Amino acid sequence: MRWDKFKSRLNPSPATRRRLGIAAVVLAVVYLAFGSYIWWAMNQPPETFGRVMAKMPGPVPFLLFPFETFWMRARAGHLQVGDAAPDFSLLKLDKTERVQLSALNQRQPVVLVFGSYT
Amino acid sequence: MAFLVVYITEAHPSDVWQMQSNIKDQVVFASPKNEEERAFIAGACVRKLGIKFPSVLDEFGNSTERAYTGWPDRIYLIDAQGRVAFKSKPGPFGFLPDELSAALVRTVPAPTPNQSTSIQQPMGNPPASSPLASPATR
Repeated sequence: MRWDKFKSRLNPSPATRRRLGIAAVVLAVVYLAFGSYIWWAMNQPPETFGRVMAKMPGPVPFLLFPFETFWMRARAGHLQVGDAAPDFSLLKLDKTERVQLSALNQRQPVVLVFGSYT
Repeated sequence: MAFLVVYITEAHPSDVWQMQSNIKDQVVFASPKNEEERAFIAGACVRKLGIKFPSVLDEFGNSTERAYTGWPDRIYLIDAQGRVAFKSKPGPFGFLPDELSAALVRTVPAPTPNQSTSIQQPMGNPPASSPLASPATR
């Protein structure tokens, strides 16, 4: 009967069950290892992370893992709201002068926008 | 109220992690080898994107980027007492100027009618075209 055949497929032999079990474990280990690698890379300096991502197969890390959640945590940073802003003195792009945050910040709030071209 | 762009290490230099979107936009730069080359790319960035804010260059050791975890892009509001009043989530996902607008309203006294607290994304590709922001389109 067809139903019996169907049932026998749903009840695989012990050997088949074992093979399926091993395959599931291997897949889980590979998945976790790959996810851990991405997490590790996100916690490295930008250049290291970039080199790792450049070798990734297309959108795989984005589709298979909670990439954005990983990213938000990995790049959260230690600075918290309420902390003293780390001071810096950096040269203006037009090279006319240096800007010191603590001096600029003395009487007014300052918005800092970090970014690059690419 | 002051706005300051801090130009930091490139997000997608061509020799590290080239983006197709940057090739399309003809924004292709290899990693600068020294501060002078970094300043050259930063200058091109400011000119091409028409950034009007005062802009400074992070030093080649990336000390300011590391202190603020600013890469690849991020927004902070520092209040007049020198404390962090707002810290965006890391870009590109967390680079949301509207959140800054809300923080400005909370933190800064109401602006006069001819001032605005809203800003546009001042540099880099908008999040929608970013490879990190729209992975499914890569």
